Amino acid sequence: MSFEELDHTADVLMRVRGATITELFADAGRAMFHVMYGPCEDRGVERRFSLEAEDLESLLIDYLSELLFITDVENIVFCTFDLDIQGTRLSATARGEPFDPARHSAGALIKGISYFGLEIVKEEEAYAVDIIFDI
Amino acid sequence: MLEGINKIGDLEWEVPIGYVANMRVPGRFFLSRALAETLEEGAVRQLANVATLPGIVKHSLAMPDIHWGYGFPIGGVAAFDMTEGVISPGGVGFDINCGVRLITTPLSEADLAGRKRDLIERLFAAVPTGVGAKSTLRVSNRELSEVMVNGARWAVERGFGTGADLARCEEEGAMPGADPDAVSAKARQRGAPQLGTLGAGNHFLEIQVVKEIVDPEAARVFGIVEGQVCFMVHCGSRGLGHQVATDHLRILESALGKYRIQLPDRQLACAPVDSPEGRAYYGGMASAANYAWANRQVIMHEARKVFAEMYGIDYDEMRLVYDVAHNVAKFERHDVDGAQAEVCVHRKGATRAFGPGAPGIPHAYAAVGQPVLIPGSMGTSSYLLHGTTTAMQKTWGSTCHGAGRVLSRSKAKKEVRGKELRLQLAEEGILVRASHDSVLAEEAPEVYKPSHEVVRVVHEAGLSGIVARLNPLGVIKG
Repeated sequence: MSFEELDHTADVLMRVRGATITELFADAGRAMFHVMYGPCEDRGVERRFSLEAEDLESLLIDYLSELLFITDVENIVFCTFDLDIQGTRLSATARGEPFDPARHSAGALIKGISYFGLEIVKEEEAYAVDIIFDI
Repeated sequence: MLEGINKIGDLEWEVPIGYVANMRVPGRFFLSRALAETLEEGAVRQLANVATLPGIVKHSLAMPDIHWGYGFPIGGVAAFDMTEGVISPGGVGFDINCGVRLITTPLSEADLAGRKRDLIERLFAAVPTGVGAKSTLRVSNRELSEVMVNGARWAVERGFGTGADLARCEEEGAMPGADPDAVSAKARQRGAPQLGTLGAGNHFLEIQVVKEIVDPEAARVFGIVEGQVCFMVHCGSRGLGHQVATDHLRILESALGKYRIQLPDRQLACAPVDSPEGRAYYGGMASAANYAWANRQVIMHEARKVFAEMYGIDYDEMRLVYDVAHNVAKFERHDVDGAQAEVCVHRKGATRAFGPGAPGIPHAYAAVGQPVLIPGSMGTSSYLLHGTTTAMQKTWGSTCHGAGRVLSRSKAKKEVRGKELRLQLAEEGILVRASHDSVLAEEAPEVYKPSHEVVRVVHEAGLSGIVARLNPLGVIKG
């Protein structure tokens, strides 16, 4: 559904909402890449991975950390995230484009995803989570 | 000041036990009334959360650049008992051994006149900078292990610098206990192509001029004179350190049940210092810290070459004053209730500030204490200070690490235009080169507390003594 940046003095705090857990995770991925690179297009670069964790919050951190690893090593900027989440298992197909310094240099390098205040909550019609990205 | 906090000295405040549940010791921080205006309740709560950790000794501390982070507050310092206590990546941060080094040159500001733009461009070309920047250096997996064990020494042996540089680094550029086996294949994959790169965010390479000498005797000992051009490198352990932190945070988080540790914040995940998980984190963290010392050594080398080529000065005339870490956990001996004891000191956004005669500081600096480097924000002064006996007694030999932010990055981007800032700084004689102008807005001088106020507080509180003030002339940023 959406993400918005909230005020945080040291780091980047994003509030992410999704109608389902799957949407929430996909939006969290979009939020992270928005912070790092700004606009992005799907130009056919694709990566797949699967993860399992003990709870949803850890799964979210592992999923975002995996994307962070791939972008750092392979210089891929992702913009779409097809996810299948069953319980605390996740299979992801992330699509995007190669990093282009001319178009992707306006963002902030993310060093890590913090557990601080990270709690997936069920609102009336959506799930929401606040994520602090260390930059 | 926020409610529930007690003033216990001119610049010293106490967070009493009970501020949050399960505190084992009180919190203490150092702040002037002016800086107290910007103190966030969230930062104090984080300081109090640290006080709940097992085996914490004396106090949960914060320096005057305290602000809201994750896990420990930024500016947080805490020591833990080696038997009862814990080690936590939340007390170090993702950028392990983010740190600063200062190098003097034989040049004066007048020597730079007319060619400063050229100098900045050449430095920007010589040091890979910004998101996606990769090093020209190629290191094999075996060499990467050597980097993680030998740190700056590895770089010197590869020709990046001289033996004299090593004596002027905290830990001589390589802390003991590094265990490359505790560094994942992923961390290695990230770190191998990034050695010798500056990174992004608040990291920089800055050309400075010594504007004011405050303590002539200490300045003489540190080899710094008024009017001298210097350069400062501020960066850390890059993707390797970020991955080590990420990996071990998860391992420690999963092990909390095993050690029956209850936490107010999962980011404070920790394990006993002397446990398999605690030892593995320490070994991985020390490896990343050593990588960071090698990284700053390589960057300094590249910058020295640019200065030498442009101004016809000798490489050896550019002397490293000191290199300090400001995100690290270390085993150190300190006075605990009248007896010397080893403790595990965490400094997260805090600088070691060992006083005169303390072990582990260069022999040449023993009489005045170690040099402490406090980088300013873009366009504001940086400071050279010295460590003190008071810091040894009150803060485990620690002081502040920077100015500390007051404005969020999102607000900064709304209120400051990067291009305008670049032009405004150029009018003041400060040339800025960044991979993108928007990077500048987020790091604009007005988003930080004034560095002079933070430094004044540590000076007046006796945690370190001001030696010299350096003003920026030009900066390259990621």
